[in-house]
Order: sequence, then structure tokens, then C-alpha cells
Amino acid sequence: MNAAPNRFTRAVPALVPLVVVTAIAELAVRADWVKAYLVPAPSSVLRAMIEGRQELIDALLTTSASALTGFFLSTLGGIAIAVFLASSRTIQKAFYPYAVFFQTVPIIAIAPLLVIWFGYGTRTVIASAFIVSIFPVIANTLSGILSTDPALRDLFRLYGASTPVTLFKLRFPAALPQILTGLRVASGLAVIGAIVGEFIGGQGLGSVVDSARTQQRVDKVFAAVLLASVLGLALFGLINLVSHVTLRRWHASEQE
Amino acid sequence: MLRNRNRGDNLNSLTRRNFAFALSAAGLLAGCSKAPQKIRLALNWKPEPEFGGYYAAPYQKHGLDVEILPGGAGTPTVQMIGAGSAEFGIVSGDELIIARSRGNDVLGLFAVFQHDPLSIMAHASRKAASLADVFKGGTVGLQRGLAYARMLEKKYGFGKVKIVPSPGGDVTAFLHDPMFAQQCYLTAEPLIAKKQGADVQVFRIADEGYDPYTAMMATSGEYLRKNPQTVAAMVAAVREGMRSYLDDPKPVNEKMNALNPSMPLDVFAGASEAQRALVETDETSKNGLGSMTKERWDAIISQLKDLGDIPAVVPAEECFRNL
Repeated sequence: MNAAPNRFTRAVPALVPLVVVTAIAELAVRADWVKAYLVPAPSSVLRAMIEGRQELIDALLTTSASALTGFFLSTLGGIAIAVFLASSRTIQKAFYPYAVFFQTVPIIAIAPLLVIWFGYGTRTVIASAFIVSIFPVIANTLSGILSTDPALRDLFRLYGASTPVTLFKLRFPAALPQILTGLRVASGLAVIGAIVGEFIGGQGLGSVVDSARTQQRVDKVFAAVLLASVLGLALFGLINLVSHVTLRRWHASEQE
Repeated sequence: MLRNRNRGDNLNSLTRRNFAFALSAAGLLAGCSKAPQKIRLALNWKPEPEFGGYYAAPYQKHGLDVEILPGGAGTPTVQMIGAGSAEFGIVSGDELIIARSRGNDVLGLFAVFQHDPLSIMAHASRKAASLADVFKGGTVGLQRGLAYARMLEKKYGFGKVKIVPSPGGDVTAFLHDPMFAQQCYLTAEPLIAKKQGADVQVFRIADEGYDPYTAMMATSGEYLRKNPQTVAAMVAAVREGMRSYLDDPKPVNEKMNALNPSMPLDVFAGASEAQRALVETDETSKNGLGSMTKERWDAIISQLKDLGDIPAVVPAEECFRNL
């Protein structure tokens, strides 16, 4: 009986800004303080969403598939690279600067090349999502693995645990909170990367945004951008769920 | 007016000592309203030969202080004019009509291109006889959102080709794939591709019956009402600039090349020659460079209506002003 009102009261703080901002935007456009071709009224965004629902839903699904694949690849790749980097100081010194490369690569600049390497369509989009989102996974995982409690490490050594055992039973679980932080950052970036990839590679929400922009349909641009945010939020929620399941029994961040 | 009256009141109540200072301040204020005001002209692309006339224009001679803002892919010039973040901007005719139908009061003043250089280029090795052949296979890079693209879709169907986003001036994909065709400016990408060794065939969209005025300078209705003299001076300066650019493009090409070094000087030279026929027509020798006719606007308006880009016909005479 108590669950429903509880959930509602918990949602209120997040809903207030939404309602206020939406109301102000609607009023500003209706009163002609802001021109509708610069900022669309929320009602016209909603209308664009309903009118273009088929196209938008298809685009959302396409973008979701690419963003998720890119995110999944950067999760696997990022953790693997971090484990490799953590294996020795020398390796870290030799390769970490190149990992930073992913952080700084201007995706727009290399986009025409991505198209040549991977062709137009999904693979280019996935590559873009991957490149943009892998670095936070590497950086956070590495820092997590490297900051294992020395006392626990000594304990493992004392009991003669092998390097893989120490990695999987101690360092990796201990690094989990930081890995998950990396994934949270990466999830949003993967969505951005996918949409940028779609500007160049075609299809999905990126293509809808591009086309609506040339048609001066600001309402439709906002509708597509909103769906992209929904996708980002969903990914973020998914990681929070994983975080809750894996950390609630021992980490302060998941205990209320 | 208000500012002038306030200034007079202040002068009356001033002491002698302050008079000199007040005089200079007043001079400053008066200066503000008379000296050339900074006017922004927003381009919708990097400095290239289509803007030669704008770069050549003797603005100072006409009492104007103009700052040209180079643009890039997707620079929303039409919205910038409406929002007042640029007094003038370069737009295309169809874009302007769509903007007007959405309540953005923008109007055209000077059309550099009397005929649209928008084209589709394909490899000559395909031996395509017409655009119909280009749409029979391979990949075509174009801006799907543009009205002309939907016109082509209606006419030829996009079922047999892979449509991908326009690479926007970049010819890497084109050079890489003999079955790749792309949206281009007659005066730009084909020259760049040829320079890189490709044999290019160009199909103009104007030949398909879709031919809006382009590289057109526009301003907002409000700005024109408030500053009719500035607008007239601007058009006169640009018309002179266009004339001098046609007569001798070399110095201005060098100036633009310094701003946009990615386009080589010989491509600049080739493009400024190639665009002559689009700038100077029988029409302009009668009515002046940059001038426009209601008939041409009517034609493109009814095409946009048929394509569903505008909900209703907008009056052609409100779209432009010949000054």
C-alpha cells in the first residue's frame, strides 16, 4: 500500500524542473517572446513526435542497436585494455598515452575515413560510438584495479594466490565501483558517438536530425534529440541496476 | 531621436568646466549614430568563388562597415537573420520560402546565382546518359532533407540505389568508389575530383526543372523597414563587387584562398570561370546583376507546395526585393 505514494513522492523533485521548464518554454513561444523557428513550443515537439512516430521509433531502434553495440564493445575492450595496462608499470608507460588518443580523437574529422574503412551504415556508426566511449572505461577501470587495498593484496600473496586468481577474486571486484562509474560516463558518450556517426554514415536518429534540420523543422529536431536522451537515460538506468545488484551488499554507494 | 533630445537637456545644465568633456562625449554619441555601423554578413559555407562578389564589394565606399562571417556545413543563416545574430546572410531561394512559411520574415536582395549550380556528379566511366541512369545502381550521397532530393525521389525512385548522407565537399568516398555519385556544386567538387584524377560527369538539378536562386544575400523584413538606406547601400556595394569580381577574379580569389587554404588557388580560378554563366545572364544584363523575377519565385514556390515542403503557397512578391 505504501509503495505507490512513496515512489510518487520520490519522483516529485525530478518532475518539478521538467514541468516548470516545459511550461515556461510553451508560454515563451505562445507569447511570441521567442520565435517558434528558433525554439519550438513543447506542444509542437509533442505533435512532431506523434506525427512522425513510425519514422522516429524505427530511427530510435536503429540508433539504440548501434549505440548498445558500440557501448558493449567499449565495455569489453576498455576493461581488457585496462587489465593489460595494469599488468606492469612498463606496459602502462608504453601504451597508456595511446589510449588517451581515443579521448582526444576528433570524431568529425576522421568520419569520412570511418566511412571508407567501414562503409556507410551500421558499422561506421558502431565504430564511432566505440571510439568516443572507450576511454572513460579504460581510465576508470585502470585506476580501480591499481587502487586495490594493499593489505588485501598482501593477504592474497600470503596465501599464495596466483596472478589470475588475485585479478578475478580481488582486484577486479574491488575495482567494480570505479568500473561502473566509467560505464556511466561511457553510456552517454556512446549515444552521442552513435548519433555523430549517423550524421556521416546515415540512418537512425542522426539522420532524422540532419534531415529535419535542413527542412528547418526545429520541432522534429527536438523530438529526435529527446528520444536520444531517453536512450541515454535508459542505458544509464541499466548500469545503475547492474550497480545496485552487484554492489548493494558491500559498497557504501549503494547502501542507503 | 530620444538619444538626441536627452543630450540637448544635459548640455543646458552643464558648467563651463565640463563643457569640453561633454562636447567630446556628445561628439562620440553623434558619432555612434553616423559612423559606419558594424554589419554582419553570414555565409553558409567556407569562402569560395560563389562569394567572390561579397568579398570584392567596396563596402567602405558606400559607408558600410561589414564583417563577413564564414560558415560551414549546416550554418543556419536563415535562422541567424531571423534571430538578428546577423543583419545579412547567404541563403538559397527554396530555403527562404520554407523559412517564410514557418513565420521567419526573411527576404532575398541579391541573387549571385541566377541558376542553381546544384548538381549530381558521377564517374564518367559509368557512361550514364542521364540522372535516371545514375539512380539505377550504386551509392548516391545527398541531403535527404532538401526539397530537390524528394523531387528526384519522386521522379526516379531511390529503390535501386543506396542513399547516404552528402559528404559535403569531401570527395574521398567518390574517388574511392567508381559507383559512388554525390550532390555537388557544379563549380566546386567536380573540379576538385578532376584535379585528383577522376573523370567526372555532372548532371545539373536545374536541368530537371528545379532551379531556385542561390548564393543569395537576404535580410529580415524588420531590418529592411528600419534601415532601408543601409540595405540599399549594401546591395549597391555587392553589385559593384560582383562586377569587379567578374572582370578580375584573381585578387579576390587570392584573398579568399588565404581564408580557405584547403581550396587550391587553381580550383578557385577554375570555379570563378565556371560560374560566370550562372551569374551573368540575359536577364541580368537587362535588369542588373543579382536581380530577380516574380515568375522564377512563383515557379519554385509551387514546386515546394507540390512536394509538401510548405503547407500553403506564400506570396512570391514578399520573398524578394530588387533594389
